[in-house]
Amino acid sequence: MTIRPTEVPARATARPAGVFRRAWIHRADYLYVLPAIVVMLIVIAYPVYYTIELSFYNTPPSLQLRDKIFVGFDNYAIILGSDVFWQVTLNTFIWTIVSTGCAYILGLGCALCLHRAFPGRAVMRAILIIPWVISAVAAAYIWKWIYHSNFGVIGALLVELGFAGRPPNFIDSVNSVLPSLIVVNVWREFPFAMIMLAAGLQTVPDQLLRAAKVDGAGAWHSFWHVTFPHLRGVSIATILLLAVANFNSFIVTWIMTGGGPANASHIWITHIYEIAFGRQRWGIAAAYSVILFLIVMSLGYFYVRGLGGAEKEGGAS
Amino acid sequence: MAHVVLKNLIKTYGGYNAVNDVSLTINDGEFVALVGPSGCGKTTTLNLVAGLTSLTSGEILIGERLVNDVDPKNRDIAMVFQNYALYPQKTVYANLAFPLQMRKLPRDEIDRKVKQAAQMLDMTHLLERKPRELSGGQQQRVALGRALVRDPAVFLMDEPLSNLDAKLRVQMRSEIKRFHQDLKATIIYVTHDQLEAVTMADKLAVMSGGNLQQYDSPAKVFANPVNMFVASFIGSPAMSLVPLTASTVDGRAVLAGAEGWTLALSPLNARKVQRATSSKVVLGARHSTIKLTTSAVPGAIPAKAYTVEPTGDVTFVQAMLSGAIVNISVPPDVAVEADQPIWLAFDQDRMHLFDGATELALKAD
Amino acid sequence: MTVASKPAPRATIDLWRWAGRAFLAVMMLFTLLPMVWMLLTSIKSGFAALQFPPQWWPNEPTLASYKKLLDPTSSVGEDFLRFFWNSLFVSTMSTILSVIVAVPAAYAFSRFDFPGRKFLFFSVLLRNMFPAVVFLVPLFILMRFLGLMNTHGSLILTYLTFGLPLAIWLLKGFYDNIPYQLEQAARIDGASRFQAFLLIIMPLSVPGIIATAIYSFIGAWNEYIFAYTFINRNDRLTLPIGIQRFFSESSSDFPGLMAASFMMSVPVVVLFLMLQRYFVRALTEGAVKH
Repeated sequence: MTIRPTEVPARATARPAGVFRRAWIHRADYLYVLPAIVVMLIVIAYPVYYTIELSFYNTPPSLQLRDKIFVGFDNYAIILGSDVFWQVTLNTFIWTIVSTGCAYILGLGCALCLHRAFPGRAVMRAILIIPWVISAVAAAYIWKWIYHSNFGVIGALLVELGFAGRPPNFIDSVNSVLPSLIVVNVWREFPFAMIMLAAGLQTVPDQLLRAAKVDGAGAWHSFWHVTFPHLRGVSIATILLLAVANFNSFIVTWIMTGGGPANASHIWITHIYEIAFGRQRWGIAAAYSVILFLIVMSLGYFYVRGLGGAEKEGGAS
Repeated sequence: MAHVVLKNLIKTYGGYNAVNDVSLTINDGEFVALVGPSGCGKTTTLNLVAGLTSLTSGEILIGERLVNDVDPKNRDIAMVFQNYALYPQKTVYANLAFPLQMRKLPRDEIDRKVKQAAQMLDMTHLLERKPRELSGGQQQRVALGRALVRDPAVFLMDEPLSNLDAKLRVQMRSEIKRFHQDLKATIIYVTHDQLEAVTMADKLAVMSGGNLQQYDSPAKVFANPVNMFVASFIGSPAMSLVPLTASTVDGRAVLAGAEGWTLALSPLNARKVQRATSSKVVLGARHSTIKLTTSAVPGAIPAKAYTVEPTGDVTFVQAMLSGAIVNISVPPDVAVEADQPIWLAFDQDRMHLFDGATELALKAD
Repeated sequence: MTVASKPAPRATIDLWRWAGRAFLAVMMLFTLLPMVWMLLTSIKSGFAALQFPPQWWPNEPTLASYKKLLDPTSSVGEDFLRFFWNSLFVSTMSTILSVIVAVPAAYAFSRFDFPGRKFLFFSVLLRNMFPAVVFLVPLFILMRFLGLMNTHGSLILTYLTFGLPLAIWLLKGFYDNIPYQLEQAARIDGASRFQAFLLIIMPLSVPGIIATAIYSFIGAWNEYIFAYTFINRNDRLTLPIGIQRFFSESSSDFPGLMAASFMMSVPVVVLFLMLQRYFVRALTEGAVKH
């Protein structure tokens, strides 16, 4: 094992000549990462390549690849020219930003409230985590039932309490479907933010908080000037992980509404899925994926910076 | 037990030499301390001997065997780490047994050796505990024990005492010294604490900036430091170093201070000063070789007390000479106060003279 | 030591404390009520569930839905139990494999200094960025090509890669916090580099491994989109898809659906609650502590 020196001046100059020699010296090290890399290559590199290729072709619904026809950028032109694309894009951004923001804030609130020990804290924390752990499919069904337009419990409650004459439509109405789904999504995700931030809170040095107290800071000031800055790293990681998960989320929308009514709840993933496996327009779906991929990759820069923060060097730069 | 020979060791990280051409011969049964400030290359040197770091160039011999390409486990060495590196999930017994198990010794022999080592280090009652249930001193002892059971040719110790509190450190210092005397073991001991090195080791290898500065017995390093770095690093309080200018007065060699005084030199010291590459000469003197008087004495240099630090059995007086602080020890009954005029007489036979340009000690011939 | 000079902060602190309690209470209700409603619905009869206004508390609680699901002799029960078993098999296998693959990789990323180390680590992290849909069509083609359509192998292989990035990231943080002197000591004590890893470091990272395993298992257990795409044969379906299949046929059997949702959630919730301290610890020691 080599101990990495803390300070390595002149490394860059030494590198070009020796990289293969160094690789040879360290050849045994690669054995440790080889399985991970092989699996990743098969299931990730190959599909990425394939998606890009498919996006330039028209492939028959049967997905017989030998019959595909090269169409250049036609698929991309069709997508960017359609109104649905822009609607779905807007939906996706609303969905991602609002879900992430709400989950983070609620998670932070819970983490703060549960930081100080009190009787019943462990039980409360365990209960608050459950929505994150249970199957998203189960969660989607539970909420679909709760939102049910005839027998849903929320609608019934509103009627019983006199807020509404008849049960309102939650997920069958173009106007309310997206907010209703976001509620479900936040319900599922805020516990993750809570766990991450609770872990982060434990690293806030007690001495600093005591110093703040001695300096006369109240609860708000010691949170804002001591605790919150300490949570910066965790917060960035949490928000990025949540944002990526929301960008890529599928189950809640797919099961509860399938993207409807009238595309009002479609986000990119569900829309692409429908184009591919519903309408079998593989080329368009692939082109969509590539566009999505490019957008996500630009976010990826921040993601790597955030998660790899400990490494400092930032491989993406 | 075996001797260890290091020949022209070089370890390069990128373009920078962490260890630069170090050569040492450690005799069988000798206790050698590698001592120097942090970042001087002493721990890297130790890791090279252990085989934990690969060598850029040079040769390492343990016994008669060249071990450059030998795995650490086959070098017949044992190592004690600064943070003890006890296996946290194993009991003390299992920690001691691990190196023997790795060598596939029969179980009853392992048991016998572990118990023997535990007895020797007086920790039989700790055998069933986990490392985190032990105090710092006990953990240290277990780490020693784990090295001991192996009966290795060479013991390597990397700052083994620096995580202990001051009182325990003094106690463990004598235990390790006793350990060395009983076993007649070859020990290479890394420390940044010169006091530890001087009190324990047969020989000091003083390092700085990846270079070996001086390799000799503590007494000789203390008496004849080869350069200003060694002079200031070994000894406590540190040797006072005063930058002066060589000149002649009435045909006699003298050293002149910035305040205008001159110090006449003995013939031997005059010859030394003549060998300096320039007129810049640094005078080195340990606190006990300077005689302080409160009234003028012929040959003594006038100065002013700067601070006075009584420690009980000796009082240290600091004075400024030529922009440098000079440390003098006086018996506690000598009454000196800050800002009081004092006179300092340097012992010509025990003063050190260094070339101000090369920082090397000046020799008469 | 007290800052006795100000009487005002006392009141402010109380205010914050009460605000905190109120907030927690609201969050508890938000979390619990949907689950309570799931349980209440699951013990109603199909007829009782479809009433307006609803029976807030079932007039005639019944476990009929659960009995039906767990009865191996009925066709519903037979299917449900088989889906359950399929899910268990797929999740367990992909968890075991992902631990086997992630542990050495994370260790190498934490400890070794081989060329390309950083590049590979960031490529692994970047995996999480790719939306599942990007992989769906090509993987569909790949699985068809490999003859893995309608097999559990296709799911295990896919889940394995999807759990890996976070697993490697979590474990690497864990290994970063184990002093490297332990391996040095082990190597001097006579262990080879691999033995030092296997005998000394692996046991120390057990909490991290457990956390990783929980994460992989829950991810695999709850996965939907690939199972939905790769598996069509009824006897190979996993729970999330299976439940959807047989309740889309009888869309008004809400008690049955709620009972199935509950049963599907029980294993992962129990698993997580049992092992959550490892998960939190792994996050605290690994990921969060920069």
